Amino acid sequence: MTLHTNQIAGHIKAGVLGLALAAPLALAGAAQAQTYPDPAQTLDWTIAFGPGGGNDIMARTIVEILNTYDFYPGNITLENRAGGSGAVGWGHLFGQAGSGYGISTTSGSFVTTPLQADLPWAPTDFTPVALLATDDLVLVVSGTSDIQDIDQFIEFAKANPVNIGGTGTVNVDFIVPALLAQSAGFEFEYISFNSMADQTTALLSGAIDAMAGNPGEILGLIASGDLRPLAYSGNSTPDALAGVPTMAEAGHPIGVSMPRGLILPPDAPAEAQTFWIETMKKVVETPEWAAYIENNTLTPTFLFGEDFRSFLGETQSGFEEVLRSVGAIQ
Amino acid sequence: MDIFSDLVLGLSVAITPMNMLYLLIGAVVGMIVGVIPGFGPSAGLAILLPLTFGMDPVGAIMMLAAIYYGSMYGGTITSILLNTPGESATVASTFDGYPLAKKGRAGPALVMQAVASFVGGTVGVLMITVLAPMFSQVSRSFGPPEYFLLAMMGLMTLIVMIGSNWKLGVISALIGLALGTVGVDLETGQGRYTFGSAELIGGIYFIPIAIGLFGLGELFYAFYTGMHRAGEGTLVDYRKETRFWPTAHDFLSTRWTMVRGSILGFVVGVIPGAGATIASLMAYSAERSLSKTPENFGKGEMAGLVAPETANNAASSGAMVPLLTLGIPGSASTAVLLAAFMLWGLRPGPLFMEQNTELAWGLIASMYLGNIILLAINIFAIPLFVLIVKVPYRLLGPCIVVICALGTFTVNASFIEVWLMLAASIVGFFMRMYGFSPAALVLALVLGPLAEQALRQTMTISRGSFDIFFERTASLSIIALTIALLVLLPLMGRYGGRAKTSSKAKG
Repeated sequence: MTLHTNQIAGHIKAGVLGLALAAPLALAGAAQAQTYPDPAQTLDWTIAFGPGGGNDIMARTIVEILNTYDFYPGNITLENRAGGSGAVGWGHLFGQAGSGYGISTTSGSFVTTPLQADLPWAPTDFTPVALLATDDLVLVVSGTSDIQDIDQFIEFAKANPVNIGGTGTVNVDFIVPALLAQSAGFEFEYISFNSMADQTTALLSGAIDAMAGNPGEILGLIASGDLRPLAYSGNSTPDALAGVPTMAEAGHPIGVSMPRGLILPPDAPAEAQTFWIETMKKVVETPEWAAYIENNTLTPTFLFGEDFRSFLGETQSGFEEVLRSVGAIQ
Repeated sequence: MDIFSDLVLGLSVAITPMNMLYLLIGAVVGMIVGVIPGFGPSAGLAILLPLTFGMDPVGAIMMLAAIYYGSMYGGTITSILLNTPGESATVASTFDGYPLAKKGRAGPALVMQAVASFVGGTVGVLMITVLAPMFSQVSRSFGPPEYFLLAMMGLMTLIVMIGSNWKLGVISALIGLALGTVGVDLETGQGRYTFGSAELIGGIYFIPIAIGLFGLGELFYAFYTGMHRAGEGTLVDYRKETRFWPTAHDFLSTRWTMVRGSILGFVVGVIPGAGATIASLMAYSAERSLSKTPENFGKGEMAGLVAPETANNAASSGAMVPLLTLGIPGSASTAVLLAAFMLWGLRPGPLFMEQNTELAWGLIASMYLGNIILLAINIFAIPLFVLIVKVPYRLLGPCIVVICALGTFTVNASFIEVWLMLAASIVGFFMRMYGFSPAALVLALVLGPLAEQALRQTMTISRGSFDIFFERTASLSIIALTIALLVLLPLMGRYGGRAKTSSKAKG
């Protein structure tokens, strides 16, 4: 995956040089892709969650970048279609099959919701544009704990019954410690909480031994020493967690993460897919995007087109396998 | 201590014309989102959040926070006038607020709720100013065992809420507990009674149920009793000249209620996840058990309105403590505020107040000012709101149905919730007719899932041993408090009862 990223990054850099001259190039690209996008058509951008959530912030950031740099010639309407953990919004996009003027951002629920509910669609049904980043988790213990690093933790977990907290069960919060335990050979009880806030208080109160969570919300507690980070599940540790090893570096590669990407309706025209792949390659090179990645402690990971589709398929079957083995889904 | 200089710094940051404008906007928007049933502060905050992109963080956070506590003021207005809680924390305010309005005391009830909200809000901010570091210890001592005990304490208030007809009350509570089992089981991840529907994954949210049971249920009952045939002004009797201001007795009889409600509300608000809704329900029950005239509760007792109102406002201040001192959001609304901090590139956590002195103290200072603004807005707006009840019931009725349906839909954009709300309204009508307790149902629906999840988390953590409840200081303290309440309250009730009979004998 790293190799892939580098290749693409090089490719983007070459293309991006001309971008300071801006719009003409974008328009030339559009003309090349025949009639797409038609500036007279409004782009219907679905946000499958309410305002203020991770998915919402990502969508609004991308649209802000598209507008600032004139990457998209027509009008864009952003609409929050929340409900059913994303089922409503992505269902709306699914209903626009064949169109190139519907678009949506994905997050973890894009993979997990179809596992929990009877939905007419699967993640792989949509026309994939790009995987732009992944949400990865940091394993933390309380600052008062004797455990200083991941090796000590594994040692402790082999000798004692440990409790690890996370948010929900059909979630990467459970999958990551489960895979870590499998690889390192320890057993644990998973304590499922309703929110990151609940699990953080439980950890601070000493009720649980460790938890896996998104680093963004707990960076403050890590900085103050109230929480101690042990390992990060992504491919590379973000700057804010400098010095913390990845689980792969600790000898336990996890290889699962929540996809933050962009999709079009099923069977969208090929020129629409091409246009968006080219556009997103420009978007991820902007300083605004870099700031977004940093503020939300995401791992930048790029996969375009069909590669993104197969990533979604693999992620979902990986999840399904682990969750089925513990009986969380049937 | 340099609390004073911090506060002065905060005031100097907060008082600029632009920031005052933002504060005013926040207060007004908060009032409005509070008034619309279902459409609560977290939804209002979330919708305005994108607008704060690129705003100065101090002004923006002042505005967003004002929306949050402002909604606590607004949410009570429909509770009192229409028996429809504007948002979840004002469910308890319907219990005595609406009967007060029916007795012709809508004006005093609205003024008293504004005063109670102001007192609760201001005491809450005072407690943040002085005691935030101390209370941050409370927020970090709560784990699953403590949440379970807290939920049990909350469920104990059912005893008070159920009232005289205990059989019907118990059935009501059991319906609530049963509804609380719907949704994905947190521990196993399996769906329970979701029938494959994505919209039921998250369970049955109590807001549509409360709107249906209280608001529409009451409406149907009013039509059943033929109120729509009567002329205007019969829903609640209101005359501005004589009935607007509360009497001295209203203030005097509730002065300790306000103190108790503020402290209880703040403490419950500090605990992440408990929040204003539980605080207001607990304050109502506590006040009723302490009252010398518990039989008047539910029939229009001023203390029954003042207690939940002070508590929910104090709780909204209390919820700022874990947010500011730990970076942990205690409620859906503070979670949006946390998202806002992160959006602006700030890093919430224990070092937050040190690193962002101006922002944190500007926010705290603005909360004093915001509560004053809200009190003023409320007192001036009350005559306008009261006009609602002058609309003939046959015209008002259909509007209430539309508002309730729209309000329910806006929360999660879910049609299933609208149907649930309508089903609850029919159930609410029959409950009203046969003397069941809708309040017990809602309380059980709120606390049942919390108790179940916390108990199962606790049992998983302790590998099935109940000893864990006696090994933790925090849980031991709650057990001691519960026992004290169980022993002391009946004693006080008996004492209070005797005092009342003797005063009656004298009179």
